[in-house]
Amino acid sequence: MTEKQKALQDVRQHQFALIDAGMYLDSHPEDEMALQYFRMMRKKKQQAEELYQKHFGPLTLFDAGTDKRWNWIDEPWPWEV
Amino acid sequence: MWDYHKKLMYPVRIAKPDPAMAKLIMTQLGGPDGELGAATRYLSQRFAQPYAQGKAILTDIGTEELAHTEMIGAIVYQLTRCLTPEQIKKSGFDAYFVDHTTGIYPQSAGGVPFSAESLQSTGDAIADLFEDMAAEQKARLSYDNLLRLIDDPDVRDPIKFLREREIVHFQRFGEALRDVQENLDAKNYYAYNPSFDTCCTRKKT
Repeated sequence: MTEKQKALQDVRQHQFALIDAGMYLDSHPEDEMALQYFRMMRKKKQQAEELYQKHFGPLTLFDAGTDKRWNWIDEPWPWEV
Repeated sequence: MWDYHKKLMYPVRIAKPDPAMAKLIMTQLGGPDGELGAATRYLSQRFAQPYAQGKAILTDIGTEELAHTEMIGAIVYQLTRCLTPEQIKKSGFDAYFVDHTTGIYPQSAGGVPFSAESLQSTGDAIADLFEDMAAEQKARLSYDNLLRLIDDPDVRDPIKFLREREIVHFQRFGEALRDVQENLDAKNYYAYNPSFDTCCTRKKT
């Protein structure tokens, strides 16, 4: 696995944890343990995203525009790797 | 992948129900030139785009179309709130009501359910982008036709926003098409598919 793939997998895992826990919380909105887990994972996901984007470019359109040129269009796109 | 944002792209706040108008506006969700078809078209076609600009433009516009489906859904929802059986019968909303109550179902103004038969994904960047430009014009004229029939400013406002976006998207697709054409080998201009016959592209194989 390349450094980029590793960094992306880290984002992916934390994001998946949030998606899955969020879905659980939709039907268990009072579950304190799940809420705590969600908050902990959100922090980790933010850190993972910051690390990825610092080295490998924007993950969303809203994160783009930090470079001299518009690097949102840079290849490869997700279906090309 | 996608994230959901818990907001509409442009606000929809309609005070007065109008089921007859809801049935017409619904065509911009599930009709032949509606937003659902647009999103499906662009998000399917982008895989065959040979150049970076086209991939980005189809991704970004396809994503915006998904947000537009939500706006149309919100308009139809608000136009069909708190209806009496009397209003339903008088407005001609009764046929829809029998099948869907006031649920949001993607269909055309004529009642034809949403179909991918109204769109293509050809695997050819030039053919696809020409279709996309035509699609934006068709959606724009559908909004023009709706605006000829709508008086309520609450309804006109978001419809006008959606109409303007069609014009902007048409412009962006024109630029994407120009980018593809500029990257063709001059000798093979228009002869080959730049997505499949990679020999006819200059910039990238």
